[in-house]
Amino acid sequence: MRKLFLIGVLAGLLTWLTAPAGAAAPLSVQVVAEPASVETVLGGRFMITTVVTNTGAAPTGEILAHLNVAGIEGTVYVDPEDWSPSRSQQLSLEPGESQKLTWELQAVNAGHFAAYVVVVPFGSEVAGHEELLISPLVNITVANRSTLTAQGALPIVISIPLLLGLAAAGVYFGTRRRSSNR
Amino acid sequence: MTLQVASAIGTGQDVRTSEGQPGWLVVAEQECRDLWASGRGLILLFLFSVLVSAVAYLTSTNLALNFLEQRESVNLVLQFAVAVGVLATLVVSADGISGERERGTLETLLVTPVSRRSIIIGKLIAALTLWFATFLISIPYLWVLGRDVGILGPALALGFSVGTLLAVGLGSIGLLISAASNSNKTSVGASIFLLLILFAPTQLPSGLPQGWFFEALLRANPVASGLAYISSLLVEGHSWTQDLSYLITPLLTAIIAGGALVLAGPQLVRLTRGVTAG
Repeated sequence: MRKLFLIGVLAGLLTWLTAPAGAAAPLSVQVVAEPASVETVLGGRFMITTVVTNTGAAPTGEILAHLNVAGIEGTVYVDPEDWSPSRSQQLSLEPGESQKLTWELQAVNAGHFAAYVVVVPFGSEVAGHEELLISPLVNITVANRSTLTAQGALPIVISIPLLLGLAAAGVYFGTRRRSSNR
Repeated sequence: MTLQVASAIGTGQDVRTSEGQPGWLVVAEQECRDLWASGRGLILLFLFSVLVSAVAYLTSTNLALNFLEQRESVNLVLQFAVAVGVLATLVVSADGISGERERGTLETLLVTPVSRRSIIIGKLIAALTLWFATFLISIPYLWVLGRDVGILGPALALGFSVGTLLAVGLGSIGLLISAASNSNKTSVGASIFLLLILFAPTQLPSGLPQGWFFEALLRANPVASGLAYISSLLVEGHSWTQDLSYLITPLLTAIIAGGALVLAGPQLVRLTRGVTAG
């Protein structure tokens, strides 16, 4: 019995000693994203909102919400920085507190994509093995759009300078002829 | 410029013409005739249309630019049209007084029975006609680019109001510089340099970190803040009132520069030493 007790104490001591120093309490955060799906055209701008709620009993400390975009169909190369130049937001929440974060995006590829927000602890005390908290995916469908065509713009692009050039030349040479006749 | 007005030469007071027109209107009419009938205005309009055509064609055909959403194409062409239209107005107004001095026609103008204030107001109005003409020329381009996205009306209203504010403000500054300059080269050079300074912040990459200093610089600059207001409505879809504060600087520039022109302009319109006639 005494042997078992000693083993238990030693095991507890070992666990305490081998535990990473400064490990923070696990985050209890819920992330909700809106809208659940977005349909837009290539080049279209849209906004995603996420609500981060501290569902735990302790303050979260500094945390970082980070937006990511991934292609979920085909082989479209996705560079999330092209989709949104501002993809990280820092915040801290008291127990029960919520914060609404908005993310502005522009669809730079056509296809089927998913956007999601990851919440990670922030600061020098982060050990690196903390759990990630991820929002549900926002389904993004980007359609190719009918782009402007040369055929549509060409008549205007050619005719206006042509008409103005002819008018300017007519007035200029007319004035010169009149002044030379005097 | 040769004015055709009733007698009472050299009084410095405004007299009405035989048709009963006020002095500033007579000056404006004559200046417009000089600008448009000589072909100078049409040549500037032709160059303007070539530039806008190039930009419009690029936005509609270039694959990289064509990626832009159509509203951004309209915004790009509108901003370009406003910028170049205002530049043309500034160049014409910068020639207003110093040009008369250099050509030796200011003396003749000063002995006409039209007040110096009327002269300067008439010249500003004539310079503004160039802005209105460039705006009219840009309408078909904006129609081609913006007809499918339903922003033609707001784009025209925005371009006209912001561009007119900028043209009045910068046209007044151009005339003030012109009145204070002995040489036409100095006047036109200083005006173009001023415009380049004002346009420089609009060319900064949009991805740059935009702190309070950038924001203050943007808002202190009438051209940059006016163009930012156009972008915020056309591209970001903001309401008319949401970013109205961007229009404070263009409005103040128009009021202050226009006011200074009307108040101090008459003292600046004078013959100066060392200017060769004709």
